[in-house]
Amino acid sequence: MTKTARMLWLAMSCLVVAGIVLAPAAGAQGTVTVLCSPNVVWCDVIKEEFPKATGINLEYIRLSSGEGLARLRAERANPTFDVWFGGTGDPHLVAFTEGLTEFYRPSSWDDLVPAFRQVTGETYLPLYAGILGWAVNDQLLASMGLPVPLTWKDLTNPIYRNLVAMPNPNTSGTGYTMLATILQIYGEDEGWRILRDLHFNIAQYTRAGAEPGLLAGRGEVAIGVTFMHDALNQAIQGFPVSVRAPADGTGFEIGGLSLVRNGPNREGAIRFIEWALSPEAQVLAAQRGDSYQLPTNVNTPLHEQAPRFDEVRVIPYDFAHWGDPEVRDAVVSRWTSEIYPLPKPRN
Amino acid sequence: MSVRPVAQLSEYGAAAQGRAGSAFWWGLIILAGGLLLPWSRQGVNVLAYDAARTGLRLAFEAWPIAAALALAGVLVVLGRPAFPTRAAGRAMLAVSAAGAAVTIGHLLTRNEPFGLGAVVVFLGFLSVAGMSLSYGGLLRVEPFAGAAILWLAAFIAVFILYPLWAMLVTSVWVRDRFTLDVFRQTLRSPTFFLFENPWTELSERRLALWVGLASGLVALAWQVVLHRTELGQNWRRIALWTVTGAASGYCLSALYTGFGALRNSVLLALSVGLVSTALGLSFALLAQRSRFPIRSLMGPISTLSMITPPFVLGLSMIYMFGRQGFITNQILGLSTNAFYGPLGVGVAQVLAFTPLAYLVLTGVVRSLDPAMEEAAQTLRASRWRLFHTVTWPLLRPGVANAFLLCVIESLADFGNPLILGGGVPFLPTEVFFAIEGRFNQNEAAVYGVILLFMTVGVFALQHYWIGRASYVTVTGKPTGGNPSPLPGVLEYPMTAAFVLWTLLGFMLYASVFFGSFVKLWGFNNTFTLEHYEALRTSGIGVFLDTARLAAIASVPSALVGFLLAYVVGRLRFPGRSLLEFTSMLSFAVPGTVMGIGYVLAFNSGALRLTGTELIIVLAFVFRNMPVGIRSGLAALQQIDRSLEEASTTLRASNVTTLRRILFPLLVPAVISGLMFSFVRAMTAISQVIFLVTPSTNLATVLILSWVGHGSIGRGAALSCVLIAAMAVVVLVLNVVLHRTGRRAGPAATL
Repeated sequence: MTKTARMLWLAMSCLVVAGIVLAPAAGAQGTVTVLCSPNVVWCDVIKEEFPKATGINLEYIRLSSGEGLARLRAERANPTFDVWFGGTGDPHLVAFTEGLTEFYRPSSWDDLVPAFRQVTGETYLPLYAGILGWAVNDQLLASMGLPVPLTWKDLTNPIYRNLVAMPNPNTSGTGYTMLATILQIYGEDEGWRILRDLHFNIAQYTRAGAEPGLLAGRGEVAIGVTFMHDALNQAIQGFPVSVRAPADGTGFEIGGLSLVRNGPNREGAIRFIEWALSPEAQVLAAQRGDSYQLPTNVNTPLHEQAPRFDEVRVIPYDFAHWGDPEVRDAVVSRWTSEIYPLPKPRN
Repeated sequence: MSVRPVAQLSEYGAAAQGRAGSAFWWGLIILAGGLLLPWSRQGVNVLAYDAARTGLRLAFEAWPIAAALALAGVLVVLGRPAFPTRAAGRAMLAVSAAGAAVTIGHLLTRNEPFGLGAVVVFLGFLSVAGMSLSYGGLLRVEPFAGAAILWLAAFIAVFILYPLWAMLVTSVWVRDRFTLDVFRQTLRSPTFFLFENPWTELSERRLALWVGLASGLVALAWQVVLHRTELGQNWRRIALWTVTGAASGYCLSALYTGFGALRNSVLLALSVGLVSTALGLSFALLAQRSRFPIRSLMGPISTLSMITPPFVLGLSMIYMFGRQGFITNQILGLSTNAFYGPLGVGVAQVLAFTPLAYLVLTGVVRSLDPAMEEAAQTLRASRWRLFHTVTWPLLRPGVANAFLLCVIESLADFGNPLILGGGVPFLPTEVFFAIEGRFNQNEAAVYGVILLFMTVGVFALQHYWIGRASYVTVTGKPTGGNPSPLPGVLEYPMTAAFVLWTLLGFMLYASVFFGSFVKLWGFNNTFTLEHYEALRTSGIGVFLDTARLAAIASVPSALVGFLLAYVVGRLRFPGRSLLEFTSMLSFAVPGTVMGIGYVLAFNSGALRLTGTELIIVLAFVFRNMPVGIRSGLAALQQIDRSLEEASTTLRASNVTTLRRILFPLLVPAVISGLMFSFVRAMTAISQVIFLVTPSTNLATVLILSWVGHGSIGRGAALSCVLIAAMAVVVLVLNVVLHRTGRRAGPAATL
């Protein structure tokens, strides 16, 4: 055998042995494992602050709400996660109805905004609320000599061809919230027509709900349909976007917090839920987490720029109907089969 | 069955008299492992030792463990002779099969996650069964080869077929009922394929019919002219060509005018395959025989683009070619988003897959024997004629392999369509949306099956193209001379393509690098180190973990790939092509489907692996192994069998031949296999996005989540760290590869 071949064998064995020896010790006891769906910066903040407050270690993984639900379903028999933190409420509701998560009544239950807690009932816990809106790149619109759109209907105007971005409702809770909002404002017939006309103006369907704001910020599109707090984040980071809400009404989401059924560390999970709903923890989102949603604990001080419900025309969003998994499936499938694949007229 | 294979006879000479047979040693290993190692485990650490679960404790409680240990004892007795008789071989086969069955039965009925002891026992019985197949005369290969075949078959069955099976079963059985409705719905949905464009006047169906008819007629005319002397004999051939021509004309027209995921993916895969293979071949040829002094740059540069996580490349391409892009807007003054969609995805994929084609082809190009070309030159062949009639036919198998790899990669890639697709449907993204968005595993499986059929089609084409021709150029006889330079007609465009490629790559890397050092890429270009400082808390640990797992996984990927290439390429046994096909399966199936399959298959019961690092390593190994197989096969095809025959004639066993003749010849192939699987593991995303847990996160998943949420600077910073680290690894291995090539001497240059 040649020398090179022998050296190759040696090198390969060293590699494997070193890799196995260097493996860190398996996760210490007393670690809470969190499925984290909001902005990753916020996730980093809770990872840093929760151990300081309680002495319990925290590990998280960032998955958007659709992916998170898929993951919980796949791991039904042996969940990895203790808590599901954040993300649109609908998947939290689906997870609850499928028995993947269970209800836990926190000690701060009475401090939670009553309107939100009535919506969620005894299913999942309201963590924050966000209002659907637009991130509008005024510079781009001005340079093209186009007016700023005011309503959902304005967005379907052919002058905005290839200038609008929205999240794909297949992966993003934000995208579904937008479909449900338009259908609630305009009713079935006109709502679907608006969605179809809007399709011709869409430059991109994005995977995550915050991405359209990013595209608008970078000037790839002029208008990105996204939650107002995400748009605000882009504006605060320095992108040339303004945060706007459609004048003909807009919907909102309630971000969820759920206790995973049969998770590995139930006590730690409960400690985490208690902490996450406290004002001290909730204020961190806007302070350090780049997340400007409305906190659900009434004692939490608000960020001065955070979008508020009394400043925009928020529709009475029917969570009972539109949050129903069957309705959701039907709406998303109809959109996916009738609108998403439509070729755009060439002009 | 009176004829015994030569190889087996040689065994008698090779082994010293009185030595105990391999089955004896395996029996001892089973006894030791079964008694001293735990049969099951509690946590996620597969290597954990738990004294309460060893065979010593359990043998009296669980009869299957006692039975397995007893059977191992029988093997120790039966396996004593070094050359068992055929009857003894069959007896050992029965004993070891029973042992393996008892072990599996125990694991399944206990339903506890397996432990190391059970693995040792099962693999021990498997090895003895494989060897006994050969002793008992049931398989006409050497004992070692029999064991190797069984090992490979078992691993492929568990880690490739079983996850797919779990996936399919979970999907076809809807609410405990078998149904095909999902197939029907998916195939009819316009997302899949839309023929008639409602916005055009003409009917696309009719157009496709006309085009099909026309191309059928052209094919008919061509064939009739070609065979005008003996029309009667060739009517079958002529009919076949006519039908094929008409069908491909119809399909191409339908694909060109149609809409939907099928059309986008197929057109994309074909064009990306063609362009990447052409570029890869050009670069490989240039690197070997260009007159320009750029050859030393070639390897590192083209490999560099491969070590970038694909979506990062896509992101920097947006900054270059998007509506506000540096090139499209600042330099060309355009305001367009034409780049989003198939064009952008195509460019990104060509950038990503050309190195793949280059890696496959560079070995082939390097092993071309200059003597053949010199012979042609002596016969006064022009340079073009030399290339056309000597070099090209030798290159063809490699080219076919490269094309196959690129087409399949393009069909399975989901990162680029997701970032650059602009919302246009592609097959892999539809799989992804079906699973992660619509939670519809049925639909995802349907798309998976369609992709599978396409892969089979590509395979069939490749077999047809290479045919049975022999391309042996490594003969063991000394060769001499220098490779001839390329004809200028080819060389100048190739060099131009290379320069363009280099510029583009350089620009993209510079832009990622730039983005990691400024506050807000493109808007606030103040210098800052904050992104790198932020890595210290959450990025660098994940990066080191990723590197460690990828390094561990690269060794088995390369070795198993090499062994499989040998078994498939050199041995004859029933089920050989099945083994080859199934081993390539994990490469063809989209990563997302494989990932979901792994979660479904290994989340509970005896095979529980989720949450462990092992499952990520296994996903890497079985995903990247096919690359090792392909390059191993391509290299083996060029090694003359007479080398092995000589070794066998000198009474060396298969193992010895493999170890001392083939392995040293294939060292460069193994090294590039190692490098390639490491790089692929470091940049992998689709197959592991479902498998990562908080304690085993991966760098690519982290970057994607940062980039998706606007922390572009941080994502760019981690990408830079990733790219830099992989660049170091790849450069070092390239130097090693270069030096091995030289040291191996002229007789065995690969």
